[in-house]
Amino acid sequence: MLSTDLRSQWMSKLLERFTVFVPAERENQVHWHRLEPADLGSGTDTVTPALRRIRASEPVKSFMFNPRQQVGAFPEKLKPAEPKTRVLLGVKNCDLVPLKVHDKILTDGEFNDPFYLAQRKNTILVAADCPVPEESCFCNLLGLTPFAGDDADAALSVCDGAFLLEVGERGRELIDAAPDLFRKASEGDAGVTRREEERKAAVAALNRINPTPWNPGLPAAVAAKRKDESFWQKHAEKCVECFGCLMGCPTCYCFLLYDQAREKGLDRTRVWDACYLAAYARVGGGANPRAEFVKRFANRFFCKFSDFKTDHGMFACSGCGRCFKACMGKIDIRKVLGEL
Amino acid sequence: MNNPYAAIPATILKVMDETPNIRTFVLRPEREIPFLAGQFVELTVPGFGEAPFTPSSSHFKRDTFEMTIMKVGRATGALFGLKPGDAVGVRGPFGNPYPLEKFAGKDIYIVGGGVGLAPLRALFLALTHEIDKYKHIYLRYGARTPNDIVYRHLLPEWEKLPGVDIDLSVDVSDEKWMKKVGVVTCLLEEIPCDEKKSIAVVCGPPIMMKFVNQRLLDAGFQGENIYLSMETNMSCGVGQCRHCRLGPYLTCKDGPVLTWAQIKDIENPFA
Repeated sequence: MLSTDLRSQWMSKLLERFTVFVPAERENQVHWHRLEPADLGSGTDTVTPALRRIRASEPVKSFMFNPRQQVGAFPEKLKPAEPKTRVLLGVKNCDLVPLKVHDKILTDGEFNDPFYLAQRKNTILVAADCPVPEESCFCNLLGLTPFAGDDADAALSVCDGAFLLEVGERGRELIDAAPDLFRKASEGDAGVTRREEERKAAVAALNRINPTPWNPGLPAAVAAKRKDESFWQKHAEKCVECFGCLMGCPTCYCFLLYDQAREKGLDRTRVWDACYLAAYARVGGGANPRAEFVKRFANRFFCKFSDFKTDHGMFACSGCGRCFKACMGKIDIRKVLGEL
Repeated sequence: MNNPYAAIPATILKVMDETPNIRTFVLRPEREIPFLAGQFVELTVPGFGEAPFTPSSSHFKRDTFEMTIMKVGRATGALFGLKPGDAVGVRGPFGNPYPLEKFAGKDIYIVGGGVGLAPLRALFLALTHEIDKYKHIYLRYGARTPNDIVYRHLLPEWEKLPGVDIDLSVDVSDEKWMKKVGVVTCLLEEIPCDEKKSIAVVCGPPIMMKFVNQRLLDAGFQGENIYLSMETNMSCGVGQCRHCRLGPYLTCKDGPVLTWAQIKDIENPFA
């Protein structure tokens, strides 16, 4: 437990050892911000209030599964860089759970992405509770809570003038950086009681926002709509094909490998791709199994809510609501799936 | 740790014209690619990109291997500009080989169309290498015109192999053509093996696969015995990037050959 007054001291200690990213408020939005020593002396704390807000605009996957990453060179070999250990302080559960999607895809045991793994390993994930869900949030429909389970290295709650930090083995480094600032919390502490109350209230708020659970047989119900184009068409009509939903998504994992020629040889880059793009599934000869947009629109739902669940035992969605927030047509996954 | 996206250098040893737009490239990779018939590799044409191809030579010889490729797009267009001595990149093998253990003791009925004979050649060579393991090999192959037939110089030799029966057709004949005229299904009017127990293996353009598959089903072949090479956009090759998704499958990892029993519920699988 750490008094919020000591926040700057703790963070400057962390900066001595790590690169630190925190959510910070800018123009009423929350964005990931690389903490600099100058931020700590400014007197304006944008971090503490942002820790209590919902997830940042940028999905946390961006830190490991980079939007652009050089993954190869030819004919020479390329090895992943080994940068300074990073701390992501304030990761919401709806960003933590999606990392399991990327772990499953990029490190399946047979073929492992060394560039993803290097960044995953050098990141200490500190979860933060989400006491005030917003209307776009629907993690409860996915069976998730607005606070982390044991997927993070440490969990932070900001209540009643105190930072409550629960650490796992690796998260201990965060306390070791400034052991004098912390004291051990106990059951009777006001902060601990307050944290439990806030967690219950957040769950209750989510249940108010999204009172009706989805069909418990959702994967089969989605799969049953594979051939029902009219169902998807009525929702796809509002899409302007901006792909904001896919670029903001913390679980979307599609990528494209492309080569850029150098004078001698080439660089190979892995970039995020979007299954809504017309050329996404097109083959060299020009044939395209999803030439019509409605097929690509439906494919996204099959991927997230049927195929991934069947193949990997989890939905490729965490209810973060970024897709809905980004959508100009206000297409709401909750509404689409609520009809099944 | 191995980088699954990194290609290893390979040298082009020889380029052979098969048809006006199909060539066979003989490659010597810096390290042996341990492929089995039916598996594919990603071929990098430096500066132009990558595309998936199935080796068309025998997996019993791997220090060099061959790929028979049709010029259709950007990467293949650039590949056709390369000459012996030029360098390309390869990575793989990826996907599943033909399950030869399931083929043992059975009649194998192979149907190819156009450049689709390329991966089937690797299978054919693997089967005939151990011909005693199989009952009989039938090869049915169709091309648009006699000039579009690949492996023209090899087919007469294959016909002489014991335990092998080959028949050919062209859509449009010329005055020298002595065999059947018509789309490849014209070769399937009479099927000389026991359809219920035999294995069928099909590779060709999607429209050809669709009609051949239907003909095989009508003839009595079992869905789980019809092996189809599915053409989807396989980019990463290792089941990650998701471009090649076909219904519930990733063609690169679950395929590239899938049985009709696996794909029958997919809407329009030969799109």
